[in-house]
Amino acid sequence: MAGAGDARGPGPAAGEPPPQQRGACQVFPERPAQGKPPQEGFLSGFFTNDQKCPLMLLKTLETNPYVKLLLDAMKHSGCAVNKDRHFSCEDCNGNVSGGFDASTSQIVLCQNNISNQAHMSRVVTHELIHAFDHCRAHVNWFTNVRHLACSEVRAANLSGDCSLVNEIFRLHFGLKQHHQTCVRDRAVLSILAVRDVSKEVAQKAVDEVFEPCFHDHEPFGRIPHNKTYARYAHRDFQNRDRYYSNI
Amino acid sequence: MGPGDGRRRGSDSDAPLSQPPRPCEAYRAEWELCRSAGHFLHHYYVHGERPACEQWRRDLASCREWEERRSAEAQEVTRVSFAQRSLCESERARVQAARKHALVWAPRQSPPADWHLPLPQEKDE
Repeated sequence: MAGAGDARGPGPAAGEPPPQQRGACQVFPERPAQGKPPQEGFLSGFFTNDQKCPLMLLKTLETNPYVKLLLDAMKHSGCAVNKDRHFSCEDCNGNVSGGFDASTSQIVLCQNNISNQAHMSRVVTHELIHAFDHCRAHVNWFTNVRHLACSEVRAANLSGDCSLVNEIFRLHFGLKQHHQTCVRDRAVLSILAVRDVSKEVAQKAVDEVFEPCFHDHEPFGRIPHNKTYARYAHRDFQNRDRYYSNI
Repeated sequence: MGPGDGRRRGSDSDAPLSQPPRPCEAYRAEWELCRSAGHFLHHYYVHGERPACEQWRRDLASCREWEERRSAEAQEVTRVSFAQRSLCESERARVQAARKHALVWAPRQSPPADWHLPLPQEKDE
């Protein structure tokens, strides 16, 4: 597995990512190493005991305003998303909730670690932000840790990962500008989940790219703090031709 | 709002713009959201300071003046043109603020070639 990982716990009372460093192949055992064909994706998840993942995914794709905006934006950028091609429900090791596999252009959903609909929506939003970055820019996922750090900063910032409520559930109490602290910390954790680098290297990469990447709100145009903001952002995205024609 | 591919008709043109960049209802909704207690909390949590909402109020007023232009008397043209300029300058400032940071990566001119290709296993079958 080579791509951005979401080092998030299994639910609001989140656990932390495993203390020891693991390579991406150990975290996503059903993902093949580069050069090997992947396992069955979406359908194999459907026919295993855990049938919740495909159903929760479907509901997220059809109803969540964050996801609907991202899907529209990706279609506009030439990367229309196909549920069966671009998503895969799999069992994963550790506490990772999902990941984006750039080598196969697939979003991995860790069905054994996603426990409820709200969590599924956040994971899908997070990974779609990585997919969106992959679609619109030359992101060197495997060779440039700064590129990976930038996408992780954006995903933590824009997906709701660092909302006040989620941080309180993690017993991380802070108010004034705490959101930025959370984004930095979670970006580092996500890098460590999928790259064999030291914490110092991950932290340095996040620090170097934080300013531009924290302020890159594409395709939302703002930080969507909740579904209302996401709906307003989607309205603005749908209105963009009128907007740019009249300023 | 991401970079759009709509046509740009700059403010330097003498030709009047056909409509405000957003429906006036959108400016009203943004102003109301900005002034809400929830937004105050979100903004403080992210930026460590209180939000500034006055520009949305001014933009709403400019938008309403713009949309009244169809029934404007000749002597009102100057006032409506000022509202158009004011609103456009405000929106251009928002776009500039969103683009002021240098990009970390190079933008693509076209999507990844393999995005729509079947998975390697499917291709073998």
